[in-house]
Amino acid sequence: MRKSFSMPRLLACLLILIALAGPSRAATEDADRAVVGRFLLTDMNGRAVTDEMYGGKIRIVVFGYTYCPDICPTVLNTLSVALEHLGADRAKVVTLFVTVDPERDSPAHLKEYLASFPEIIGLTGSAEQIAAAARNFKVRYEKQPVEGNDPMAYSVDHSSSIYIMDRVGNFLARMPHASKPDRLAERVKSYLAPRKAED
Amino acid sequence: MDRRRFLLAMAALGLAAPAAQAKTAQGLFIHESPKPVPALDIRDADGQAAGLDALKGRAVLLNLWASWCMPCVAELPALDRLKPAAAAKGVAVVALSLDRGGKIAVVNTFARLSVKALDIRTDEARSAAEKLNATALPVSLLLDNQGREVARYVGAADWEGPKAAQLLDALGAGKPLTPDMAPPLAKLTAAP
Repeated sequence: MRKSFSMPRLLACLLILIALAGPSRAATEDADRAVVGRFLLTDMNGRAVTDEMYGGKIRIVVFGYTYCPDICPTVLNTLSVALEHLGADRAKVVTLFVTVDPERDSPAHLKEYLASFPEIIGLTGSAEQIAAAARNFKVRYEKQPVEGNDPMAYSVDHSSSIYIMDRVGNFLARMPHASKPDRLAERVKSYLAPRKAED
Repeated sequence: MDRRRFLLAMAALGLAAPAAQAKTAQGLFIHESPKPVPALDIRDADGQAAGLDALKGRAVLLNLWASWCMPCVAELPALDRLKPAAAAKGVAVVALSLDRGGKIAVVNTFARLSVKALDIRTDEARSAAEKLNATALPVSLLLDNQGREVARYVGAADWEGPKAAQLLDALGAGKPLTPDMAPPLAKLTAAP
């Protein structure tokens, strides 16, 4: 009983702490909006694509960029291993990598880079299209000032979650980019059962 | 009940927390105590098992790379040159490719870079990144002569400078590693 008394206070302290942290404040404001899976982008062959073109499939979506001068995240590796775990169910899923760096990630460049991950579809677009897609997914990104003298050697800070969207593009789940591939596959599988897809 | 509410609230907070990518820290990270390394299914150019067991009794620099990782590829020539020098210090250099589809990407990359000393090593089960908790590449794990991870270097290191020599001397001799032995990050030029 004594324990239950302290719990709200602990929660209140946590909430205050989180409210005080700068970036979290923006996240709290963002939390009012739902994640929406709508987009109009360009695929690796230069064709315009919308989320509706992937209708009927569960979508795994990540935002990022291919230019990694220092260290490269292994999230695409995670995605491709997760897809292997899905086995035959892979056909019910589409995996999308949306660049937040359309300036460097042209369709041709994405195609070359993603040759190592043939089951992942790279999407780019105009700066406005990328901004609109990111806004819908509540993804934030920001081009960073250049440190050296090469104006093209900029980095882009960005949200790095893995999104799982349902067959019509509605939000199902958001997982950390460092998720284990089997956990990601399990989560996707849980949504492939028709009954659970509406949860 | 309260515990459940607390957990639910924590979960909700987790969802609301920003997903902004934390800048991955680079450089040398020395562990407080050696960590066991999970078994990895490493294969050689013929698809035969070439796990770390074969190197038992020797210290190892286990570098994880992939052909799609530009800084990894840019670091490989230095590791190739380092291999014989490190061997003289009792440290085996192993460059493990995380590329899917076996050795093709490795063969092509090694040919392009004119790699001479490094052996082809592939992550057959494609589980090395997960098992070794490598969320970014390149990363080099420093294993003691009992096969335990004593430190890891995140990013491409200057493997041919005096600091690296000091670090590998200590690793090969089974002496404790200290932060002053940390090699600087390599100044990488564009991958060929």
